[in-house]
Amino acid sequence: MPNAEFARELDPHRGYLLRVARLQLRDEALAEDVVQETLLAALSGSGFSGKSSLRTWLTGILKHKIVDAIRRKQREPTAASAFGDIESEMDVEDLDAMFNERGAWDTKPADWGDPEAALSRRQFLDMMELCLEKLPPNTARVFMMREVMELETDEICKELAINANNLWVILYRARMALRQCVEQNWFAGDSKPN
Amino acid sequence: MIRKALGHIISCKDASRLVSKREDAALSAWQRLVLRLHLSVCTACSRFERQVRFLRSAMQQYRK
Repeated sequence: MPNAEFARELDPHRGYLLRVARLQLRDEALAEDVVQETLLAALSGSGFSGKSSLRTWLTGILKHKIVDAIRRKQREPTAASAFGDIESEMDVEDLDAMFNERGAWDTKPADWGDPEAALSRRQFLDMMELCLEKLPPNTARVFMMREVMELETDEICKELAINANNLWVILYRARMALRQCVEQNWFAGDSKPN
Repeated sequence: MIRKALGHIISCKDASRLVSKREDAALSAWQRLVLRLHLSVCTACSRFERQVRFLRSAMQQYRK
């Protein structure tokens, strides 16, 4: 396939790659860089076999570029502040506060009815993205690494220098917060009194 | 009555954590048992379980 034609095929995926990179890096310039590197790598490599979708293949390249960017950033002297306070995101105290003293839900999850129908709607995915943006930075990063980039949990632990327990707490935090955000912004009309 | 008591060997707080953890790690036989008993009597945690799975498919959709 001629390069110019392939470049045109890649272009519609640029926005998606940028959104994924932004959510994980929370740094506009760095996100632009990794997407640029991803598209360049895609153009120069011969890797695309057509076995997976173009977007899945690009996501795979982006994954490596993001991991590299995180490694570089962690080596910087300001790394701690650059990625925010991961310690506070590994603390379960505020998550425990969502339950009463006997460990029952303070506010029970609502009935979402048949949520699958929402998946085909662009507005739903846009709303999900807003919910992801509202997550604390490391929580968003870990959740994206796990659910979008499909990194194994031990890889994530290694890259972020955290242990498995920390990782489970962060993923739990992400799911609790996302669930609540999605419920408030999309399924609120369906909620029934508990 | 017995079923209800067995369902509350663990609390909703613990059950919700196990539901999330199960997405990322293998639970022990005991954890699987007490979670199953809890989910069989708790509507709120069963909803949470479905919602966690739904979030996962939503993220896969996001990638497409």
